[in-house]
Amino acid sequence: MKKLLMLVLIIALAAVVGAAQTKLTIFADDTRTPLLRDLGAQFTADTGVEVDVVEYAWNDLRSAYVTSTQAGEGPDIVIGAHDWVGEYVANGLVEPIDLGKKVADFSPAALEAFTVNGALYGLPYASENLALVYDKDLVPTPPRTWDGLLAICRAVADPEKPMYGLAFQNQAGNFYQFFPFLSAAGGYIFGYDDKGALNPCDVGIATDGAIFGATLYQSMLKEDLIPSGVDWDTLNALVEGHNAAMYITGPWLIGAIKSAGVNYGITQIPAIKGPNGAYNVPKVFTGVQGFMVNSFSDNKTIAMDFLMNYVATMDTMVALMNLGDRAPAYLPAVTQAGPDILAFSQQAAFGVPMPSIPAMASIWQEGGNALDLINNGTDPATALKQAQDLILTAVDCK
Amino acid sequence: MKILLLGIVDAVVVWAGVGLGTQNAYALLSLLLLGGVGLNIAILSRRAYPLRYLLPSLLVLFGMVVYPILYNVYISFTNLQTGNLLQKSQVIHLLENRYAPAPEETIYAYQAYLSDKDELLLLLTDEQGQHFLSQGKTLEPLRPDDQRLVTQDGTTGLDVPGYHAVTGPALYQLLPRLETLAIPVDNATLRLSGIRQFKTVIKQYSYNPKTDRLVDLQTAISYAPVDGRFTSAAGKTIEPGFQTWVGARNFVRIFSSAAIGKDFLRVFLWTVVWAMLSVFLSFSLGLSFALLLNDRKLHFRLVYRTLLLVPYVMPVFISAFVWRGMFNENFGIFNRILGDLFHVQVPWLTNAMWARASLIMINVWLSFPYMMLISLGALQSIPDQLYEAARVDGAGAWRRFWSVTLPLLMISLAPLLIGSFAFAFNNFTLIYLVTAGRPAVLGAATPAGATDILISWTYRISFQGGSGNNYGLAAAISILIFVMIATISAIGFRMSRHLEEVYG
Amino acid sequence: MARFAALLRRWGPIFLRRFPRHLLIWIIIAYALFPVLWIFSASVNPTSSLSQQKLIPDHITWDHYRTLFTDPNYPFATWLLNTLKISGITAVATVILCALSGYAFSRFRFTGRRVSLLALLLIQMFPQMLAIVAIFFILRMIGDYAPALGINTHLGLIMVYLGGAMGFNTYLMKGYFDTVPRSLEESAMVDGATPFQAFVRIMLPLVRPILAVIFIIQFITSYSEFILASVLLRGSEQLTLSVGLRFFTEQAFERRWGPFAAGAIIGGASFLLIFLPLQRFIVSGLTRGSVKE
Repeated sequence: MKKLLMLVLIIALAAVVGAAQTKLTIFADDTRTPLLRDLGAQFTADTGVEVDVVEYAWNDLRSAYVTSTQAGEGPDIVIGAHDWVGEYVANGLVEPIDLGKKVADFSPAALEAFTVNGALYGLPYASENLALVYDKDLVPTPPRTWDGLLAICRAVADPEKPMYGLAFQNQAGNFYQFFPFLSAAGGYIFGYDDKGALNPCDVGIATDGAIFGATLYQSMLKEDLIPSGVDWDTLNALVEGHNAAMYITGPWLIGAIKSAGVNYGITQIPAIKGPNGAYNVPKVFTGVQGFMVNSFSDNKTIAMDFLMNYVATMDTMVALMNLGDRAPAYLPAVTQAGPDILAFSQQAAFGVPMPSIPAMASIWQEGGNALDLINNGTDPATALKQAQDLILTAVDCK
Repeated sequence: MKILLLGIVDAVVVWAGVGLGTQNAYALLSLLLLGGVGLNIAILSRRAYPLRYLLPSLLVLFGMVVYPILYNVYISFTNLQTGNLLQKSQVIHLLENRYAPAPEETIYAYQAYLSDKDELLLLLTDEQGQHFLSQGKTLEPLRPDDQRLVTQDGTTGLDVPGYHAVTGPALYQLLPRLETLAIPVDNATLRLSGIRQFKTVIKQYSYNPKTDRLVDLQTAISYAPVDGRFTSAAGKTIEPGFQTWVGARNFVRIFSSAAIGKDFLRVFLWTVVWAMLSVFLSFSLGLSFALLLNDRKLHFRLVYRTLLLVPYVMPVFISAFVWRGMFNENFGIFNRILGDLFHVQVPWLTNAMWARASLIMINVWLSFPYMMLISLGALQSIPDQLYEAARVDGAGAWRRFWSVTLPLLMISLAPLLIGSFAFAFNNFTLIYLVTAGRPAVLGAATPAGATDILISWTYRISFQGGSGNNYGLAAAISILIFVMIATISAIGFRMSRHLEEVYG
Repeated sequence: MARFAALLRRWGPIFLRRFPRHLLIWIIIAYALFPVLWIFSASVNPTSSLSQQKLIPDHITWDHYRTLFTDPNYPFATWLLNTLKISGITAVATVILCALSGYAFSRFRFTGRRVSLLALLLIQMFPQMLAIVAIFFILRMIGDYAPALGINTHLGLIMVYLGGAMGFNTYLMKGYFDTVPRSLEESAMVDGATPFQAFVRIMLPLVRPILAVIFIIQFITSYSEFILASVLLRGSEQLTLSVGLRFFTEQAFERRWGPFAAGAIIGGASFLLIFLPLQRFIVSGLTRGSVKE
């Protein structure tokens, strides 16, 4: 009896302590996991190192990485969005990456998105942004100015059918999609300090320009040109039912649009004439996705080898591009990009990378609340000013 | 016989305990000791006989419930948050392994050799072709005519007895070990940089455990751990910070925050109203149906009972998703029907009052089957003679219910209702899934929406605002919430015991 | 004709008396089942979003059910089995542990009995927001020494669920045990049985209803739980039903409402099937115990 117990315990311990074969662990979302598994199999065949791809839902990935790494169970590589990098660097969870000569192969904007305090922390592979997607049957020529867009909306909108002029995800809290309205006439998120870094105490969501844009949005809501309370599911419903003439959305909706048989076109968002008379194309947030390396990994060299020689290749980058339908950050792959991706890139020229500093959390929260209030009829100036106040208080700037 | 087994188990516990102790796994160690001591007391002591029955439950409870609570209390006295997430030892490890590129970078190609006893030997070759030998700690220059060098097909290798070259997949297996090497060279350090080369880099920091200071090796500035961050005398800090004890700072912050104080009353009131209405309405509905279904003469009783239990059987998050969709202002089924029939759109989830009502409707839907179940059970326990006696005394149906059924039900059900109240009070999941606390409230001083209950409000303050995740603050608020609900419940339990004395 | 009138005269009043009851019941059943019917309709509806679908679909498609069982990236059948296994084991273990401790609280008089019972109930009320981090840590530590119980293991998750199941269920058990007269065990012990044998042979069979009820409640609680499961389980083969279905909705930019609904229906239906045979215990179950006879 005693011997058996001993034996069991020894075996258990041995299983823990014994043969720790070098293994590369990657945390990825379920869209990219199959591709990475194939790539991993190739890597294993070439080098003998086992590759384990652990799958998470995209929305769980960010915190799963933090919790695991904190507990010492983190992966060697993780896929993520660039705005996670601020939090990760502040916590010391990611390792700077040196791309060597391959730096020139990547879009500077994508690299910039993953750069914090001058160091690059990720290998970017895709970038995404909003643009104007329109139904060619209802909108033969896309509008270049907002007045043109308004004219089309008014001609087309009919709440009874229902038919809307412009639709986007304006559900409560979706500040990401609301930003174009604020940015067109002068709103911004964070200003820069004299060292060129983002200054969390300089918040620009309640400038006159921002208020102008928000008021414009609210008036369109009241006129029933834009449907209210649209979340992802509702947006899909609108697409399926051909219930809107134009959408402000990202590459993620194209699949649904194609399935619904909409004859679609993609162009940049029409320029809005600000209170000072100048026309400005609304700026949108760009989101960049990339691979990051765990600073606590024991296999950093192998991880970098995998990233540089297997991920940063034409084949993989093109495959990633096609998987996610996103503009590639790897410049040589752009030659293989389809027309949709190129069309979205037009708007990317008017893009602002989402700030990744931790203070951004307050922006999402309070900006989202402001949108909520504006949706419900509150005066935009009041709503935005309250949001700004609360943000400054929350980041200890007041 | 029992004693023999106990002896063996004790031996194992001690052996495992020593193992855990040397590895500093204190939490597990304490749990193990608890279990071990408990088992001994349970078996050896006559008076502690009940412990034998309670021990398994207690162990699970301690491990999975009490420990997280203790951890929570511990965290509330620290500054665990974004920027101060790691332990001090982890941060020191990171900083000591930080290397900057050397001003004059020298790259060495290398070849690795392993002996049968797993000893490492490296042949390093710099850009000029000069060879060096290293076992991982020092660099020894080799003369070109050194015996151990062997040239074959233009490449030079080492020929040392007992050592074989490491190439191909075996090299990859060796890489993690090579990564840990830091060979001092001139004023720099030689470290692995890529699969096939070593590079000179400059180590940035050195930590002195005796003085507890981190020294920047380039500038000789010394950094002391202040408030979870290494800070120089001039006030410059190094990122990342680490978790450290801050005493009651989080609690002071809560109590002295005007913003939190302003929103607290509104959120607290709604939480209490929410929990009470949920329990009251679902209990009323459940009880009514229990009464209806209790009648033995009712046909299809079993069918009805099964159908009425369906809401309870569906996983919460699916139900919440569907209800949210049905309440959608423009496209939800309710507004579509109302729009067609009455031309009215109800702002189910976008208006504060309607959002609260909608949440209560959903929660009642989710909970009334459970209430029906427990009422059915409790109704069985009321003896028929009481009803008979009441009928003889001339009491009508309503009177019978009010004076006989309800009080007796309350005795059995009151603790469960209090439990349901506490569950609703802390029901983060439902609020988060349906409204996430929204709609926003104008004039709020913190992220507190119209449907936020205390716990979802805590989540928003700590994890969705400020500068990242503030676990310390969340832990402190959790403790305060616990104090509140425990007090309310304890009072409730007291009162229900009095009920028992009156009617029981 | 006259026979029909006679029938009406005979059954009419009874029908009228009964009808309102049944009507009321059916109204509430509609309230209870409407969302579920909606989900069922979605599972056979070719549409892809909740907002677009109609209650009666234009035509029925079983594609969503097919997708569920054939898509290699989403092993639905595995998820269902995982959930049944985890919830089943948790529920059985809960019943055993709570029966033991409930019996102790009911039958033995020891110091601190009242207080510890109250503490047991109050402890469950602690908001478990930060518990995730703590539980992650402790499971990782346990996993280092006993790999079968660590992160990403079903046994580990079961242990975590057990922790949360102790409080109220023990109280329920205790209450029920209180209603069983001691004379039964006492006579057994006079006949030479140890207290434990009396517990197993005499008491447990008598309290079957409450055992069934606690099994059901714990089973339902376990399979509905998804927050802890999503943190502690990784990789699609390990997931439970709730977490797996969450993949469908949380994947921000995919449209999988149809398969999601199909998964919900299959999950709900299988749980209902498990639940049906245990129903008859519920009538005399739960709280009969608190009343001292």
